[in-house]
Amino acid sequence: MDTNAKRIVVWLILIGFGIWVLFTLFPLYFMIITALKPVEEINRMVPTFWPETFRPDNFRGIFADPGSLKSLIDSVIVASANTALSLFLGTLAGYALARYLTGVVGENLAFFILSNRMFPPVAILIPMFFLFDATPWGTDSYWSLIILYLVFNMPLATWLMMVFFRDTPRELEEAAYLDGYTPLRAFFKVTLPLVFPGMVSVAMLCWIFAWNEYLFANLLTGTTVKTFPVHIPSFAAGSQTLWNFVMAFSLVAMLPPVILFIALRRYMVRGLSLGVVKG
Amino acid sequence: MSTTSQAAFVDRHEADVSERDAARVWGTSARPLPDWFQQKRSRGGGLVGAWVPIVLVGLPLAVILAIVIYPTVWMFYHAFHDTNMMSLFSGNWQPVGFANFGYVLTSDRFQDSVSNLAFYLTFGATLQVLLGTALALIIYELVRPRWLQTLVLILLVLPMMMPPSIAGTLWKFLLQANNGAINHLLINLGLMGADQRIEWFSVDLSLVSLVIADTWQWTALPLLIVYSGRVSLPPAIYEAARVDGASTWQVLTRLTLPMLREIIAIAFILRFMDAYKFVDKVYVMTSGGPAQSSELPVYIAFQKGIREFQIGEAAAYAIIIFVFAAVLITLFLQYLKRVMRHQGVTS
Repeated sequence: MDTNAKRIVVWLILIGFGIWVLFTLFPLYFMIITALKPVEEINRMVPTFWPETFRPDNFRGIFADPGSLKSLIDSVIVASANTALSLFLGTLAGYALARYLTGVVGENLAFFILSNRMFPPVAILIPMFFLFDATPWGTDSYWSLIILYLVFNMPLATWLMMVFFRDTPRELEEAAYLDGYTPLRAFFKVTLPLVFPGMVSVAMLCWIFAWNEYLFANLLTGTTVKTFPVHIPSFAAGSQTLWNFVMAFSLVAMLPPVILFIALRRYMVRGLSLGVVKG
Repeated sequence: MSTTSQAAFVDRHEADVSERDAARVWGTSARPLPDWFQQKRSRGGGLVGAWVPIVLVGLPLAVILAIVIYPTVWMFYHAFHDTNMMSLFSGNWQPVGFANFGYVLTSDRFQDSVSNLAFYLTFGATLQVLLGTALALIIYELVRPRWLQTLVLILLVLPMMMPPSIAGTLWKFLLQANNGAINHLLINLGLMGADQRIEWFSVDLSLVSLVIADTWQWTALPLLIVYSGRVSLPPAIYEAARVDGASTWQVLTRLTLPMLREIIAIAFILRFMDAYKFVDKVYVMTSGGPAQSSELPVYIAFQKGIREFQIGEAAAYAIIIFVFAAVLITLFLQYLKRVMRHQGVTS
């Protein structure tokens, strides 16, 4: 092919790519500068693309409302408790599926458990709303969210842990048995350290999914327990949204998943693709 | 070693171990082991009793039974009854046969929401996978040096890590008609007259706005998956193709894309599966409006169930979505099973 034509094609592709990069970054950029503007500047008829007045105080201002900090803490509690529970159940079941139930039954069981992750939540939430409503603690509690988030996190944890356990050689465990280890001790001393990186990535994925969840939290909770996505609409003065606070608070709230992702991106791909792609 | 002989080897091996273990438990004395002990051991097939794996898998199954199966049965039951909030709390709902389904399927609201979903699946989910694939290959082939590749990848994947509700709020802010950043950006770039304003949240465009926000956020998922898939392809094949004088276009269409077919399919299925669960942004950005122009079936089911308390109708919606999802999930899992065998993840 003509080298000149080829070079033009490459440049066209790169320009298109650059446009996409700008399209991706512009909203993030505008989010950050909005978080730094005073609210009067945001409400002008023509938005400024570089803040005229810098107001980093917004990041302190969002915590003037004690509900802000509490909503972040609530989110940490729900996400962490749910992750611990998902990971505990998922590791045990994943181990059993990888080592003992390797026949047709076990395989179908594994796929059945995974299918629950893809389940439309609408079929679950409405009955659970009335079920939790009938319990003494009501819908508006940590428990309702911690339990409901198991719907999507536990199948994922089970499935991924099964994939990770299958990757570890069974022979190592058998060698441990020959050395007189009990099955429990062999599991903790030999197998678990091998899947530990996998466990960390599963934990992080579960935590991010629970942290980001909005729908269940919005419909079930909101007074006693209020996770941060439910708290965001409260940054308003009357009917007017205080966009500077909304953006500042959003930036604070999205820090944990972003940091986790950048730190653990190597392991994330495997988890996100259900173990198919070895990242 | 074939599977059967391997299994036989493992069985024999484990039988030895269990005997040894038994001897250890019972001490070194000459006391013979009772029959029931050894029989019980060998029936377990290994060192642990047969009940152990059953309990381990049983725990999550019990949880699923409680939080998935029970609600589903409840929904099936109420889909055939005229339940609303009053009758639910007083406990006197009447069976109505298929009336709920008849009402839902013939209603304009449902039919519009299905066509909205079709629009979203075509221009949201499908476009995201195509774009993500193209971007992943561009990053891999054209972005140099290596550290820039990683940086670009992280920057492009940032939106995905954002909570979907925040992404929705952000786009709602950007797409405001009067002083929204996007409209003014278009004016500043000269693509639009200074007095023109695009009403992004009008009847005609609200669904488009949703699709834009969702594409902005989720193109990163197929991108990340396809990129990782491309990285793991063996370089030797490309070396051979280069030696044979294959053109870039041939390498792309004859080598890369066929070898990535399964991975692209997985990315596509993952996006598709999330698509009918897509409600976060609908709640945050448009609340289904204006005039129900951006409603999706799942959103209506929630509105009917938890805001309007028309439990019977909501259940009918849920069951219709459930059947649709069940078909998709079954097809997907069949495919996943094949891919995982092929990739050597399972036996």
